[in-house]
Amino acid sequence: MSAATDRRPSPVEPSPGSPVLRRTRERPIGTARPNAVAYAVLGLGLVVVMSPFLWMALSSIKSEGEIRRVPPTWWPEAPTLDNFRELFERLDFPQFFTNSALVATAVTLGNLLFCSMLGYVLAKSDFAGKKLLFRVVLGTLMIPGMVTLVPLFVLVANMGLVNTYGGLILPFLAAPFGVFLMRQFFLGIPDELIDAARVDGASEARIFVQIVMPLAKPALATLAILTFLGSWNNFLWPLVVATTEDKYTLPVALALYSTGQNQTDYGLLLAGAVVVVVPVLVVFLLLQRYFVQGVAMTGIK
Amino acid sequence: MNRTVRGTVGVVALVTLGLTGCGRGDAADGGSDEAEAVAEGEASGSIEVWAMGTEGEKLGDFAEAFTQENPDVEVNVTAIPWDAAHDKIATAIAGGQTPDVSMIGTTWMGEFAATGALDPTPDLIDSASFFPGAWETTDVGGTNYGIPWYVETRVLYYRSDLVPQAPTDWAGLTAMAQQAQAGGAEWGVNLQPGQTGAWQTFMPFAWQAGAELVNEDSTEFTLDSPELVEALTYYQSVFTDGLAPTDLPQGSLEPDFMAGDIASFVSGPWHVGILEELDAAGMADVALAPLPAGEKQASFIGGANLAVFKDSENRDAAWKFVEWLSRPEVQVEWYGAVTDLPSVASAWEDPAIADDPYLTVFGEQLETAVAPPSIPTWEEVASVIDTELERLCKSGADPQEVATAIQEQAAAIGTGL
Amino acid sequence: MSTDTEARPGAQAPGRAGTLRKHPPLYRRRTRAAWGFALPFVILFVTFTAGPVLMSLAMAVTDIRSRDLRNPFAVEFIGLDNFVAVLQDPMFRKAAGNTAYFVLVGVPLTLAVSLGIAVLLNAGITRLKTFFRVGYYMPVVTSIVAVAVVWRFLLHPEQGLINEVLGWVGIEGPNWLASTTWAMPSMIAMATWRSMGTLIIIFLAGLQGVPTALHEAAALDGAGAWQRFRHITVPTMRPTLLFGAVITGIGYVQFFEEPFVMTQGGPLNSTLSVAFHTYNQFGFGNYGYAAAMSYVLFLAVVLLTLVQFRLLGERDTPRRRRRKAVPVANKEVGR
Repeated sequence: MSAATDRRPSPVEPSPGSPVLRRTRERPIGTARPNAVAYAVLGLGLVVVMSPFLWMALSSIKSEGEIRRVPPTWWPEAPTLDNFRELFERLDFPQFFTNSALVATAVTLGNLLFCSMLGYVLAKSDFAGKKLLFRVVLGTLMIPGMVTLVPLFVLVANMGLVNTYGGLILPFLAAPFGVFLMRQFFLGIPDELIDAARVDGASEARIFVQIVMPLAKPALATLAILTFLGSWNNFLWPLVVATTEDKYTLPVALALYSTGQNQTDYGLLLAGAVVVVVPVLVVFLLLQRYFVQGVAMTGIK
Repeated sequence: MNRTVRGTVGVVALVTLGLTGCGRGDAADGGSDEAEAVAEGEASGSIEVWAMGTEGEKLGDFAEAFTQENPDVEVNVTAIPWDAAHDKIATAIAGGQTPDVSMIGTTWMGEFAATGALDPTPDLIDSASFFPGAWETTDVGGTNYGIPWYVETRVLYYRSDLVPQAPTDWAGLTAMAQQAQAGGAEWGVNLQPGQTGAWQTFMPFAWQAGAELVNEDSTEFTLDSPELVEALTYYQSVFTDGLAPTDLPQGSLEPDFMAGDIASFVSGPWHVGILEELDAAGMADVALAPLPAGEKQASFIGGANLAVFKDSENRDAAWKFVEWLSRPEVQVEWYGAVTDLPSVASAWEDPAIADDPYLTVFGEQLETAVAPPSIPTWEEVASVIDTELERLCKSGADPQEVATAIQEQAAAIGTGL
Repeated sequence: MSTDTEARPGAQAPGRAGTLRKHPPLYRRRTRAAWGFALPFVILFVTFTAGPVLMSLAMAVTDIRSRDLRNPFAVEFIGLDNFVAVLQDPMFRKAAGNTAYFVLVGVPLTLAVSLGIAVLLNAGITRLKTFFRVGYYMPVVTSIVAVAVVWRFLLHPEQGLINEVLGWVGIEGPNWLASTTWAMPSMIAMATWRSMGTLIIIFLAGLQGVPTALHEAAALDGAGAWQRFRHITVPTMRPTLLFGAVITGIGYVQFFEEPFVMTQGGPLNSTLSVAFHTYNQFGFGNYGYAAAMSYVLFLAVVLLTLVQFRLLGERDTPRRRRRKAVPVANKEVGR
């Protein structure tokens, strides 16, 4: 997807495999040398950015009394796994985890496929109804989710999808967010690349699968991470649509005992927050390396 | 875009045409229901029950005693998080997906009863067995729906080392707070200075002054009565005299109280557990007392009710299960399982409850605890009161003007009956 | 519904006479292929999004309340009454002012900070890249409740870290969350902190499309980092920047969670947002009124998005953008 594949002649444009390009693979974009200032700024920022997460993780092994202390403590005085033990004893973890994983994976895959298909034609094809379609999709992205909750539930109930995996997955399988994201990234792919393939007689499907999708890895990774996170953390919809506990997802189950009518059990809540975050981090770690793939793709042209 | 707009307008026009064709002729039937009798004999079939949090977790096993009495019945309990339980019940009503029985927060009764989704309470239930304030929460427009399942009420928590004797009236509360501050406490008392739920702390003062929130048949608000203004005036004085903080950071109350910086506060039974977890040894200096009284004694009563839905396919069995849960001996056992306070007065005679020094205070307070009116719009009116209380406590607004503002906004909202 | 959308291109074709006359079979074939690509999305979209959206629009022009949940057709059509009532609601006006403040300060701030960090992460460092990337993504995945506890501590008037640091330089910090002046800036800081992670990864992905060669060339020629950022990075990243701006705008106009967990909209409604007010109205069961408020909010987002498309130049599709970018680069190179 790199716009570095710009066809315009440029005096220093490297050819594939030239020393310049190989060097840039190791040290991308505009770097002269790694910069001590950059490390200092990023490092300082990291402390600010990470501290709540660290406090959450550390506090999940504290007693309820210690968590409630003011000012809060950082290091647990008497580390205990009680919160986690209680969580695992009271909740049918494998079931909830499976439900969450199933729903989030299906939703992510659906969005990757459907949104990039539509995003591609919206960015790279000229066809009747294109503008209208894009505007409608973009428009619904701006409608506050609260307003459609009851109508959507009534619809899903009428379709007989209450308390089914279909009811959990289908409404989120194709989200406007993904279309907009993929379209914006596809806009960056040079038209020449696609036009050349079209002239060669390649079908749109083939161009999409063999040329466009490989170029879109950073965007796909981004979409996958964001969609997975959104689906994984979704609370209100799974709660509303699942009417027996065997269809509950992790966030719904985790909220069961941590928040009462008048008080909150912070120990359970923080332990739950730690548990729920782990898969998201794993997905992030697996996918984040694709963020730099686009650079290597420069060689394609 | 034009095309979209035109298309949308067309569809909306069509839909709304359909809607106007129907009109509100046979609309909500809340308030004019007749309760049907429940058939004699053992319960049978399956009963779907929704209950929140711990209640949802424990009720399934607890119901085994019921299924032993009624071998042909099956009780399936689904636990629901408190967080969005209200939304879940509302959407279930809209989608026609309600269970047979659900636990319902006391302040939601008016709203859900008005949808016509709840079944009126049959004669099977002995209304006289409950605390009067608790039973009131089931009364929507003259018809009762469901039963009070468990209750909670608000009392005064105080530091016995800073306060030699609990105050019994408003003047005593002020004096106690001043004395505690003279003795080193930063704040004599903590009362919620507005924002979500503040009305639950304030209303006891209004009821104690003799205020009524609505007229006899709950069709009009009476929130600018002299009694209410009197309560607002006193409530404000606690802040203007510098006895209570207006900007206490969230989460500071409990540690500050255990450290002796705050001498007293008003809250419900759950705070006993929180304080114990924070500083078990410090509990020696913590005592509870009924709220200081005004013209008369009063407090806020909360908790949760159990309701049967009209769409239930197993209504009779559902009511039998609900009736079973309201028996005094079952209520005592339920207290043992989840420490929910019984809504049935006679259950409090059981030694498991009667011998607990903290609980006796709540038991005494429950005798005079009052429920807010069970009207469909109560939550909205309550949020108006919360906002206006904040103006009263933080901006020094005139109590009479605040009462008028509350009354005007409440009147605009209407009681919904 | 789906047949209707499929029919639309055909119905529209005559209007596109110019294109059609040029390559009628090609254009028609391309339209067919394109709708083939769009079809799976469109089917799901029409079923699960368009239907509920139309139903919610219908709600907005009726007096539907929670008591009508079982008989939604037994409500009265009241036209634009809800919208008039919304615009006259003093609470809504207060919330609209707060939301505007939040958006106008928050969106540019968040975009600038995120882009800065993304550029540094991408080009400023070579070691520990993964570590830093994960670190900066953490706020996005951290539970809002844990976030609230820590931020409350940071903002605590006496024991808070922020006032402590301000104390070192002789400034007595305010009671942030209890001050009608400072509660909103606190919300903005918190929202920026929470939203950064998402934008950073979006921008990181976008940065991979920035032509390395131009950077190299410009650098060889002595162009400073700022010049290269301004004339090479920013123009190339326009579609991504636009995406980031629009998404952030949409999220911020609907901001809700921060005041929900931190201030409940207080003190004295100084952090009450429109989305929060709407949420409350839904909770009270005023569905028609709340739906109308949602669509007022929707119009605000549309307006904001139009402005952003204007500013970040959607019309400048890649072709023209490159035309603009390259001469600049060439000029620098040739200097």
